[in-house]
Amino acid sequence: MERRNFLSLVGLGALALTVAPAAVRAEDFRKLKPTVWTAKTVEDAVKAMYGSDTATESGITITTPDVAASGGAVPVNVKSDLDLKSLTVFQNANPESTVIAFTIGKSSVVDYDMKMKLKSVGDPITITVIAEGNDGKLYKGTRTLNVALGGCEG
Amino acid sequence: MKIKAKLKGDIVNVKVLAKHSMTTYDQAEKRTGNRDDANFITHISATYNGEVVFDASTSQFLSKNPIFKFKFKGGAKGEKLEMNWVDFKGNTKSGKAKIK
Repeated sequence: MERRNFLSLVGLGALALTVAPAAVRAEDFRKLKPTVWTAKTVEDAVKAMYGSDTATESGITITTPDVAASGGAVPVNVKSDLDLKSLTVFQNANPESTVIAFTIGKSSVVDYDMKMKLKSVGDPITITVIAEGNDGKLYKGTRTLNVALGGCEG
Repeated sequence: MKIKAKLKGDIVNVKVLAKHSMTTYDQAEKRTGNRDDANFITHISATYNGEVVFDASTSQFLSKNPIFKFKFKGGAKGEKLEMNWVDFKGNTKSGKAKIK
């Protein structure tokens, strides 16, 4: 890293500490909950993440193509108008189930686009999104799609 | 890291491309015979004015050179957005963009 960049980073870090002590802190779920990332089924992963898999099926919209041409980069959009604390995306095609976990701050808008790798397994794949609201309840959304050519093998 | 941040109404739309191979365990095994050669971004976050506006713990199942799009409220034109990622091997990268 260049010296100038490094110095500006240090400066900003100090600034962040003094100016906004109450700001949302970054949470690394890989360190906090390591078992989530090794779980082999969606059910286990959800339980490892949130302690329960009882969720209300409403309020979360997942958009993907019906048939993804390549599993190497499947565009996925997740949207919600609920007041959420965190949101996690799972799928049932790859060796492990958890894809990504978002921490949602007070100024975040829950509208995320990402590109996902999905293995082609022959059967339709289900993407499951579980979100934890600030009311302590769990919310769930699902979306089923097909993948023509897998993305994890190559 | 390529970052584009644009203010629309009172919401900042951010698009970010993180350059990373995002090798899964299976891919690593196929290429080098060693599953431990897998490497992928594990955590990516964005800060604006000291506040975390985007924060994601990620796995190997994002595409190569993954693209993220996210939105947040309260941003102002000309101000800076900072982004950082860290990968499985501990490498870090940061980038910044001015909100347009």
